[in-house]
Amino acid sequence: MTVRVPEHERLSLGNGVTLVLMPRREVPLVAFNAVLRGGALGDPASRPGVASLVAGLLEKGAGERNAYAFADVVEGVGGSFGGGAGPEAITVRGQFLARDQGLMMELLADALLRPMLDQGELEDLAGRHIELIRAAKDSDPAELIGTYGRALLFAGHPYGRPTFGSEASLAGIEREDVQRYYDGHFGADRLILVLAGDIDADLLARSATASFSRWPPASAPVPLPPRPRALAGRRVLLVDFPGSAQTYFWIGNVGVDKRYPRRAALELVNTLFGGRFTSLLNTELRIKSGLSYGARSGFVRGSVPGEFALRSFAQTENTERALRLALRTLARLRAEGVGAEMLESARAYVLGQYPLGLETAADWAGMLGEIELYGLGRSYIDDYPAQLAAVGVQEAQAVIEEAFPSGDSVAIVAIGDASRIRSVVAAFGPLSEMALTDPEFSPAWAAGDELRP
Amino acid sequence: MSGREAVRAATLANGMRVIVWPVHDIPNLALSNWVRAGSRNETPGVTGLAHFFEHMMFNGTSRHPPGDFDRLMEAQGGANNAFTSDDVTVYQDWFPAGALELVLDLESDRVAHLAFTPEVIERERGVVASERRLRVDDNSHGLLAEQVQATAFVAHPYRFPTIGWPADIRSWRIEDLQAFYRTYYAPNNLTLVLAGDVDAERAIALARRYFEPIAAQPPPPPVRAIEPEQLCERRLLIRRKSQTPVLQCAYKAPRAADPRGPAVSLLLGVLVEGDASRLHRALVEERQLAIEVSGHWQEGFDPGLLWLSLMLPAGADPEEAIEALDAELTAVATNGVTEAELERARNLATVGLWKKLATIDGKAQLLGEYEVFHGDWSALFDAPARIAAVSGEDLQAIAREVLDRRRRTLGVLTSAGS
Repeated sequence: MTVRVPEHERLSLGNGVTLVLMPRREVPLVAFNAVLRGGALGDPASRPGVASLVAGLLEKGAGERNAYAFADVVEGVGGSFGGGAGPEAITVRGQFLARDQGLMMELLADALLRPMLDQGELEDLAGRHIELIRAAKDSDPAELIGTYGRALLFAGHPYGRPTFGSEASLAGIEREDVQRYYDGHFGADRLILVLAGDIDADLLARSATASFSRWPPASAPVPLPPRPRALAGRRVLLVDFPGSAQTYFWIGNVGVDKRYPRRAALELVNTLFGGRFTSLLNTELRIKSGLSYGARSGFVRGSVPGEFALRSFAQTENTERALRLALRTLARLRAEGVGAEMLESARAYVLGQYPLGLETAADWAGMLGEIELYGLGRSYIDDYPAQLAAVGVQEAQAVIEEAFPSGDSVAIVAIGDASRIRSVVAAFGPLSEMALTDPEFSPAWAAGDELRP
Repeated sequence: MSGREAVRAATLANGMRVIVWPVHDIPNLALSNWVRAGSRNETPGVTGLAHFFEHMMFNGTSRHPPGDFDRLMEAQGGANNAFTSDDVTVYQDWFPAGALELVLDLESDRVAHLAFTPEVIERERGVVASERRLRVDDNSHGLLAEQVQATAFVAHPYRFPTIGWPADIRSWRIEDLQAFYRTYYAPNNLTLVLAGDVDAERAIALARRYFEPIAAQPPPPPVRAIEPEQLCERRLLIRRKSQTPVLQCAYKAPRAADPRGPAVSLLLGVLVEGDASRLHRALVEERQLAIEVSGHWQEGFDPGLLWLSLMLPAGADPEEAIEALDAELTAVATNGVTEAELERARNLATVGLWKKLATIDGKAQLLGEYEVFHGDWSALFDAPARIAAVSGEDLQAIAREVLDRRRRTLGVLTSAGS
């Protein structure tokens, strides 16, 4: 027994809006997922964070309701409503009790079609986002390490820009940036709207048609990212975190895209390398050596290749040992590949685990949005078990060569106490350095001597 | 709810409780095995032992060498994790239905036959030390919370950090571990919950086959400490190299099984849940003294803490935030809450419950919580009615009692330079 895409209805409203309706009646909740193509790729190169602020502002006043009235009505019925920006889309998601689905549609239409984008709300939100980045540096620097990693790896490419913005960029974003983004990147041709759960499909289809069928298309073309070039050789960034107890590190290079044909093999190999507890990486850095609480790896796949990256951390005095061990483990994967028995175990694991991510109406609203955004089709789910079943050792080897970098060509970020680890990390490649408190995610931008890519 | 009729429960001959909720939406099962042992059961010098056990339980038995537990489970499609609190240690597995027998075999094996290998213990000490550096030493919130909790209690073991004090992590002896294991990892101290794609009678029969042969032990010694009445506010200030100050208030609060529990939860809902909550609106939106407010009630076997946490912007004056916070809390205690606020908190709690019930993992978690902390899994199905029954007067009464400055511990973490 396995998971297949449940019955659902897919409608095109004629003006470019895609509407997906999926009834699921396990609990009396309805979930929505509004995906607006564009995302942070639509940010001006000099001001990352605009799309993120637009996404946050949608609920800060829309239609006849100001920010307080909007929150009062959403939470008053126990609902949730929130937007965020990814590299390629803004997503607005929420859940309501089934009895409030009419209200949910009204709020969603107001937020997407009639947001106030109020000046005062913008200043408050941008200010709070700046402080949230500072707070993350104080309490969870590892959470930000991917942002530093992408800035280093994708320098000059839009994937290198922080989708959430940086302290410096957020401080410079003005209302006209936000308005320009909204005018350019919101419109019927950009919208994928998924409604799932204990829904009245006819009612919601009528409501969505009434609200969105006369929406004109967005005025700007859909921003498309160029294909990034993989890094040749090494680059090392040291982010100084004085007094830190351990060093947090990230090692990555350009990986593969969403439509990568060997997706099943990729998932299996990454599961074995750094995707589960007994993975090669976690076995070396945690289970066998006790150096770290954990080590993981993963791929970010967009319409063009995002990054492959591994990440872990170790006590400051073990920085060199841990970095060498991580690179040696990557080299071992490339030299030795994976055996048939390992592959069999990974196959059982992936088949056994992925249904748990496709359990609720909200899970399906997310997945169907992704399938529509990248044009993947329902076979992305329905044929996945058969694809997993077909992966052999040779295909796994091909994936290792295509998608996993050589340790000689990687970007390395280390967040730690520079006074104690500078010479250690400098031995891994050409070094650049910045402070954790710098308001940017790249030393080049922080110094202001190079235009932000 | 149709759940009450679907759930089956049994008590094995050795005293172990087994609860099963069959649900067939996905071909998987969620298991949680609740051990009534947490940092509450520790003593000075061996703090962190319950949490260390959570790690050791994955590290080999007399039948399976270290690594087998994860290797065998993952090879049949299962994943696992565990967590430790002040009160309990909970082992969780998520797996395809076909792996049920293997999972029960592995789970019972580590309850019956755990191995204590010196090299393995040493290595795991390193892992826990790394976890502590991540969660406490390099983390403003973790560092402050540990000190606030240690200050809030003077007699009760709730003062111990669950991860353990650094010196204790370095010094546990094998005898400490063996004694803890014998006492707490006894079937009569366990509650096993399964939710998912299984027939209830078959699941209970399998649980009997694997767990019933394990002998019961004398019940663990009761925790007799009772925290004396707190007589005055306690304050502490930590200076750490950081940009954003953190403020945490820990109020003495009832235990999980207290009949006023739903009122405590709804009070938190009124205060901190969502952008329309009292404290978010007043402190984050209106006065911009904080960038985020949050709160939680530490629901345990004994009276614990209700926490309110504020993240402040860089350069903020914590005293100004404390003053504004106190003004809001006083207003709630003095004037109560509006009908709209109560309704909002009730609806958020109801939706929150449904969201958890939408997954097999949430179902297993909730059944375990109700069975362990309320003594009866079926009380879960009364939760909506109990939420609906909370009145404005109930909320004001609990606010008056709990939000009492004399019974709070207030911690501030601020920049080393300021």
